Amino acid sequence: MNCRQLLRRYGGLMLIAACALAGPAQARPWWLRGAATNDHDFLPPDAAFRVAAHVEGRQLRIRWIIADGYYLYRKKIAIKAASPDLTVFPAVLPPGKTLSDPYFGPQAVYFQHVEATAAYSRGDFGAHPLQIKVTYQGCAAAGLCYPPITKVIFPDDPGASTDAVVPAPEPWHPWEFVAIGGGGLAFLAAGLARRRRRRLPMPPL
Amino acid sequence: MKRRAGYAAAVLLAAAATYAGARLYMMGTPPAGDAGIRVPAGFASAPAAADLSADAAFAASIKIPERLPRFTLNDLDGKPTPIAAWRGQSLIINFWATWCAPCRREIPLLETVARQWRQHNFTVIGVAVDHRDAVAQFAGRFKVHYPLLCGDQDALNVAAALGVATPAFPFTVFTDRRGQIVALYLGELHAAEINLILAVVQQVNDDRLPLTAGRHAIARGLNRLKAGGNRT
Repeated sequence: MNCRQLLRRYGGLMLIAACALAGPAQARPWWLRGAATNDHDFLPPDAAFRVAAHVEGRQLRIRWIIADGYYLYRKKIAIKAASPDLTVFPAVLPPGKTLSDPYFGPQAVYFQHVEATAAYSRGDFGAHPLQIKVTYQGCAAAGLCYPPITKVIFPDDPGASTDAVVPAPEPWHPWEFVAIGGGGLAFLAAGLARRRRRRLPMPPL
Repeated sequence: MKRRAGYAAAVLLAAAATYAGARLYMMGTPPAGDAGIRVPAGFASAPAAADLSADAAFAASIKIPERLPRFTLNDLDGKPTPIAAWRGQSLIINFWATWCAPCRREIPLLETVARQWRQHNFTVIGVAVDHRDAVAQFAGRFKVHYPLLCGDQDALNVAAALGVATPAFPFTVFTDRRGQIVALYLGELHAAEINLILAVVQQVNDDRLPLTAGRHAIARGLNRLKAGGNRT
């Protein structure tokens, strides 16, 4: 069986296989995945709760943006000084909404967003960058809770949280190399076949 | 005929290129989660932009192993208990904490499941990532009868070994009787979900369904339940 017959017989099958491999670019097909999981149902904590702070006169304003369907516990919010000679006074927080908890009783929580204000004083005459340590804890209303999160943030520089982690992209699966390499080889083979056909002597007229 | 072969090769290459392009695109822009971020007026948008890459992190950070890893944690009396003590049984390992409201809510359901599925060789094990005293107090007050293990960093290490490197509670791991992980459910379980998962695991245990097909059946069933909103 030569290459042409092979292609004629199995070409359709190869096409279907290539399309099947090409389709799931966003998610790996189920037969290549492990255990069933619903891990896409929830946001990672840093996406569910985003915190930033800035200075207004002698006050710090710390803001949380809370994703839809998520909430933060009022009593789990704490703001402390993290830079030398900085004193942060107790924060003022809005009352929030009340969620009833059969074990802990009524709990004040925040949906959508919340802003805390805290007075501060510094004795370093601006020698150090202002740093505060914020702690907060929240849950998804659909039934998932995150452990307390602590971050050191620089007021007025909201993008500079010290522990921001950019995840590495998912490594390529060997099948993906096979699919792409196979496609490339097929193209090369087709090109070579074409060239060979061109080189063949013309039949006598 | 050769022309036809050339066309087939071109289509193959196009499919491969599409796939490669989609992959490269996905590496650059991770998919957004289901929940939206509503940014109120006046709020800084800088953290939102900085955290866009985090949307995919939760799902991407979960790498579930094929088999249940070996681990040992203390029970409520402080006695080290290896998970191998339940070898040969289908396990429902529920990770929880006393401070977690949805964890506390699902405990009565887990009690019921432990009772109803015991005869089918299923065992519920609670792994509390919490202080032992708090767990013991809670277990006494809420009459938790299934085995409880607890720990701090050691329990978090077990969660990481199960693929949950960013801890969030509750989550529940379901194994077949051979110790292969069939499903990992993130968040509060409801009766419909747990019954669906257990029915499939039982079929896997009875060799009526291959493991991969079982996993697929669970994924499809959970998606169906989610779409229908039928969770209780």
